[in-house]
This record gives sequence, structure tokens and C-alpha cells, in this order.
Amino acid sequence: MTPLLHIDDLVVDYASGGRTVRALDGAALTVQRGETVGIVGESGSGKSTLGSAIGGLLPGAASVTGGAVRVDGDDVNTLRPKQLRALRRGRLGYIFQEPIGSLDPTMRVGRQVELALRGRGTRADVTAHLARVQLADPDRVARSYPHQLSGGMAQRVAIAMAMAGEPEILIADEPTAALDSQIREEVLGVIFSLAAEAGTTILWLSHDLPAVAKRCSRVVVMYGGRVVESGAASAVLDSPRHPYTAALVRAVPGAAADGARLSSIPGQPPVLTGSAQGCAFAPRCPDALGPCSADRPPLVSVAERDVLCHLAEATVGAGR
Amino acid sequence: MRLFSWWLRRALSAVLTLFLVSVLIFAASRWMPGGFAEVVLGPFASPEQKAEVAAKYGLDESVFVQYWLWLGTALTGDFGISMISGEPVTTEFGLRLPVTAQLALFGVAAAVLIGVPLGVLTAVRAGGRRGGAALGRLVSGLGVSVPEFVLGSIVVFLFSRYALGLTVGGYVPFGQDPAGNLQSMVLPAAVLSVFVIAVAARTTRDAVLNVLVEPYITASIARGESPGFIVARHVLRNASIPVITVLSTITAYLLGGAVIIEYLFNLPGIGTYLVQAVGRRDYAVVQAGVLLAAVVFIVLNMLTDAAAGVLDPRFGAAAKGRKR
Repeated sequence: MTPLLHIDDLVVDYASGGRTVRALDGAALTVQRGETVGIVGESGSGKSTLGSAIGGLLPGAASVTGGAVRVDGDDVNTLRPKQLRALRRGRLGYIFQEPIGSLDPTMRVGRQVELALRGRGTRADVTAHLARVQLADPDRVARSYPHQLSGGMAQRVAIAMAMAGEPEILIADEPTAALDSQIREEVLGVIFSLAAEAGTTILWLSHDLPAVAKRCSRVVVMYGGRVVESGAASAVLDSPRHPYTAALVRAVPGAAADGARLSSIPGQPPVLTGSAQGCAFAPRCPDALGPCSADRPPLVSVAERDVLCHLAEATVGAGR
Repeated sequence: MRLFSWWLRRALSAVLTLFLVSVLIFAASRWMPGGFAEVVLGPFASPEQKAEVAAKYGLDESVFVQYWLWLGTALTGDFGISMISGEPVTTEFGLRLPVTAQLALFGVAAAVLIGVPLGVLTAVRAGGRRGGAALGRLVSGLGVSVPEFVLGSIVVFLFSRYALGLTVGGYVPFGQDPAGNLQSMVLPAAVLSVFVIAVAARTTRDAVLNVLVEPYITASIARGESPGFIVARHVLRNASIPVITVLSTITAYLLGGAVIIEYLFNLPGIGTYLVQAVGRRDYAVVQAGVLLAAVVFIVLNMLTDAAAGVLDPRFGAAAKGRKR
């Protein structure tokens, strides 16, 4: 069966001021229908670029220099503009980080939801859609302009608009990063329950590993423009196999026992200008060996996950 | 109610501005070296002759008394007489206003109908490889950087040799001879248009480019909306405020008289008339002219603010004094 989303060895470069920065360095990911996938990585790990590439939304400075993104078998980068718009309209939904900024400031919210329903929506439909994202007073919200809403309300509106077409894939790029901590859980709850109802596959891009592992069936960890570990959420969180994932888990405050020291990861994430010769994490890796910085690591499938690490097999059962 | 009090405050500040402008221009014109008597009588007149002329027009009174007398009659709508022609100032302006208004109308129409669409087009095509962007930049760059008198002189030179049915100078009022009027107005309007089109196109292009990078545009692309739909529904309105502001400035500037164009094409408009009036120390004309320009500017500013409030609800909220 064709997977819903198949990202194959994707390479994306950004041209910035005469030099090239490599954002994705051979990222690979396959997602089946109905999965809830959390993609975790620091700023600069390439997760936002990956999310944009799925809908062909890369900015003008970016170019795909290798690999392919296939949504249900269709290569996104070879689609004609009209087909690409049809893909975005019919199969994809996006939620962005900045809730109020994602809404047109000069148009009433109800009208924007109506446009997202593509003219099929009556006023009652608009109200119903706004009620589905748990807005307390949908009629008042429909009459408001975006600047009259709180961040949480605006993000619910954005969710209603993204889910209006019942997309097959919902890509949520740090949807709660700009929100107060109290309402994050509520907004995430709305996203996940609506997606479950519509049978929508979720790709949630985040830097918060434990939050992602709590809600998603699968966790994907990105580093240096590649997917370095991908597997069942509980397995990855409980016994990470990639040294970077392990370091992320150790750096989470909640995971450390009282009195134990939180460990940070020494060094800086890399800024690639071309294909990395070895493992991008090797310079910061506590376990790095000779081949780590010389050869690109192979993809190894162990213990319910795929790991991109020279040491993955060696450390099986090492109790990391 | 809040809206009303906002307009009331604007009106009061407008009146205050006009008052200050009138004081300033009165003082400035009286303090200019060389008064009306010197200008009329020439450099060799005797002090007695000068005193006689000054007394005839009340220029021997103190500046304060003069201002007080002027203010009193101006408030009744009487702006005095031109000391040069002896005609009422309102009559003099009535003769010249149609010329300036017609030129301004052509200029603003060119800015709106050609400049704005050109700006939108070059902004939307900015990422394209078809060279449309480079062409747009070239046109607006040339239009902004070539001085009016250079292009105007070239046009006057060319068309005084090869008429092509158009005339340089020889203005006739539209009411008298519509065809002749248009013949004489096409060239000055065209030269003027090059500049206002360039300014309008450049402002529009920048405004549209600023909107195109907004996250709500990315969001609408992500929803699969087509480029035409996005420009029509999301871009135009959000980019409109700087464009309207610059259009209003262009209108105010043109209604004040495009002096260089009027000189070059020998058009009897407000601009040349005011410059002449300053040279001749025709005080009543200068005062009325500057005040008229100030009124135009204030009214256009208020209209622009009102339009901004309608176009962008965030401005509307501020204008109505509503706290967010």
C-alpha cells in the first residue's frame, strides 16, 4: 500500500547572502494513515523546512536539490501549480506558530472561516465550525476582527480553518509556542480530538520531547537536517537509542530525579553549508568513535525504531 | 459618540492649524525685504511716493492692525483684492483653479489607474524570472530620479518641432473649446503623469511586498488559494493604507499647483500665479493662496484618516478611542 506521506532522502538548500545553508541533509520519513507523529528538534534542525516542503511551501530562497516528497504517491515538487493548490486545498491542513498573524487583520473572522469552507458554508456552518474548536461564544468571535481575539482564541480559529476541508494530513508547526502555558493543553486537545474525528494524520512539529511523546503515537527526532531516530513514542522516550535523543531526554527538567543534576548538551547545533561528511552530531556526541565524523551513519532498525547511528547496534542492551 | 468627538477634535485642531498658518504667512510676507511699494514704484522712487502707496493700501498700519483687519474680513469670506489687478482675490483664483484642478485630475487618475496596478504587478512578479520586476524598477527609478524640468524641457523641445496635433502653451478653457483645451493639456498632463505614476507605483510595490511576507499570506497559500484570489482578497486591502496616504499627498501637491509644469507649458494655474504674487508682494493673493493649500492639505488628511479607519479595523479602533 502507498504510504500517505513518503519523504525520501530530501535535501533542501537556502541561498542566503551569496552562501548556501543546507537545511535538510537527506531527511527520510514515512507516515501511514491515521498516525499521530511528533517531530522533535531544536531551532535549525530542519523540522520547519520539512513541514513546509510537504505542501510545497518553501520560501523563494530555498531549493530542493535532492530527494522527493510524496503525498499518497504524488511527488509534490513535480506538481503543476494548479495541482499543487488542489493538494493543499484537499489533502493538507496547516497550523502555524503565530496565531493572530496567521489571520487576515482586515477581514472578520466569520468571513475568513467562510472562505476556508470555500463558499459552501452558510452562517450556521461557520458558527458550527467555530463551536467545534470549543470557542465559548462562536457568534461573537465570527463578528470579531483578529486583533480583538486572544492568542488562544485566534489559534482555535486557525484550527477550525485548517480542519474545514477535513484534510488527510494536518501539519502543526509549533502551534502552542506563542500561547500561555495554561491554554496550551486545551488547544492541543482540540487539535487531536478534531483530527481523530476526521481521521486526519497529524504531524506536530515541536521542540518539546515529553509533550510530544505524551500525545503522539510516534516520535521523530531531527538533528542537522536529518531524521536521527524515529519510533514508537514510549519506546523512544523510555530508552532512546540515538545519543542525541538520549541527551534530549536527560536535558528535560521533569525527567530528572529530585536533587539530580540536569545535563545540558555541550556545543552548538551545526550550520551546514553542504552535505555533512559524517554524523552531524559527532562533534557533540559523548560516545563518538572514529567512523562517526568520517562516514555518514547507516539506518539501523532496532527495538521498534529506526536509528541513524554508527553505534546503534553496538549499544543494543547497553542500558543507555 | 466617540466617533463624533474624534471628528470634533480633528475639526478644532484643523481650525487652530489654519489660524497659525495665517499668522505665519502674514508675518513672513510682511517681513520679506522689499515691500509692495518698492516693487510697484521701482528702485528710484522717493520716500514720499512710497508712503503714499503704503497709505493707499493700509500698509502703513502696524502688522497687528493689518492682520486684525484681514482676519475680520476673511472670516466673512472676503479675502481682499489683488493689489496688482484690483480684482477680488476670489475672482482671480476662480480663473486659475480650473486649470490646476484639471491638471491634478489627470495626474491623480494616472496615478490610480496606471501607477497602482503597475506597483501591484511588479510586486507580485518580483520573484518571477520574466524580467517584469526589473522593468518595473527601471521605470519607477527613472520616473523618480529624472527631474521634472528635464523631461518637461525635452517634451517641449520635441513637440515644438513635431507638433503631432498637440500644442505647447496656448491654453484655452475647457468650456470654451473642449478639443483645443485637451490639445493643450495632453502634454503637461503626460509629463506630470510620469512622476506621479512612478511615485504611486513604487509606494504600491513596497506596500504589497510588505504584505506578501505576512504570515496570513503564507497561511492562505497553505490553504491552496490561487494567487489572483490572494491578491484580490487579502493583499490589496492590507496594502492600501500607505498607497492612499501617498495618493492624498500627490493630490494635495497637485492642487497646490505644479509650478514647474505650469511654467514650462505656459499654463495659467495656481502655482505660477502664487509664485508671481510672492514676487510682486501681492499680499492678499499670497495669504489666500497659502491658506487654500493648507485647507486642501488638512481636508485630504482627514479624509485619508477616515479611509484608513474604514479599510483597517485596527486603525478604526484607535480612531474611535476604543481601548483594546
